[in-house]
Amino acid sequence: MITGGLTRKSKAQSNIPDSSLADMAFLLLIFFMVSTTFRSEDPREVEFPEAQATQKLDEPRKNILHLFVEGDGSIYINDLLTPTANVSNVIAPIYAASDRRLVVVLRADRDVPYRVVDAVQKELQEAGAYRVTFYTNLAQRVTRERR
Amino acid sequence: MAFPKRTRISGSIPTSSMADIAFLLLIFFLVTTVFDEERGLPIVLPEQGETQEVSQTNVLHLTVLEDGTVEVKRGESPTVTRVPASQIAGVWRLGFQQNQNLIAAVKTAPDAPYRNMVAVLDQLQSAGAERISLQILE
Repeated sequence: MITGGLTRKSKAQSNIPDSSLADMAFLLLIFFMVSTTFRSEDPREVEFPEAQATQKLDEPRKNILHLFVEGDGSIYINDLLTPTANVSNVIAPIYAASDRRLVVVLRADRDVPYRVVDAVQKELQEAGAYRVTFYTNLAQRVTRERR
Repeated sequence: MAFPKRTRISGSIPTSSMADIAFLLLIFFLVTTVFDEERGLPIVLPEQGETQEVSQTNVLHLTVLEDGTVEVKRGESPTVTRVPASQIAGVWRLGFQQNQNLIAAVKTAPDAPYRNMVAVLDQLQSAGAERISLQILE
């Protein structure tokens, strides 16, 4: 087919507009930077026990309370050294404020004598916080076979 | 007198590599971010003062000792067997086959390290035990 005259040159640009690429990348970058919470390195020298049945705890962060028990038996709640007898007094108001949904994660050292853990459990019962999780590291299959 | 030569330096900042830099940072943060997850062995403590009368035939007594071994006693039977903590899952499965109402009563010696109790609890939960009672050996 013959067309008369000159064919009009296409004015469509052939390059991809990449000027906003950096903006998008920075947007993502800033989002991740802001949403990342850096956990300060554990100040407690606590070695956790291992367990194969370790489960992920599906609970909003605001309902979780960490209770550290160090190897020498000292108890820390919210980074405050708490005497054993005081644990229920500290936990009870937190439990009430959490709308009775508080989960206490007991981060106890693997070598602490059981009597300390038992005393903590009794205090938690007194405070009414019945949902407890014993913090454990997931045992690897390899170590299980070696045992 | 000649005309001064026009400078040909472009006035724009080169932005073509900016995206590369931003993506590099982005990927760095993506890779180094560790999501801290809560994990452990969940258990619900009994309410204070709550005692339940349980028939002795439904109780599997497990006494956790200092050296990590466990004394197993079924209900009223006088026989006590000593097994390592790693065999508790098998003991539970066997007992549960015979009695679906079985309750594991874990009593731990006061001086036993915490990890011995966790090892037994781990075995019980691995074997699917749901009715577990934690006590201290008196």
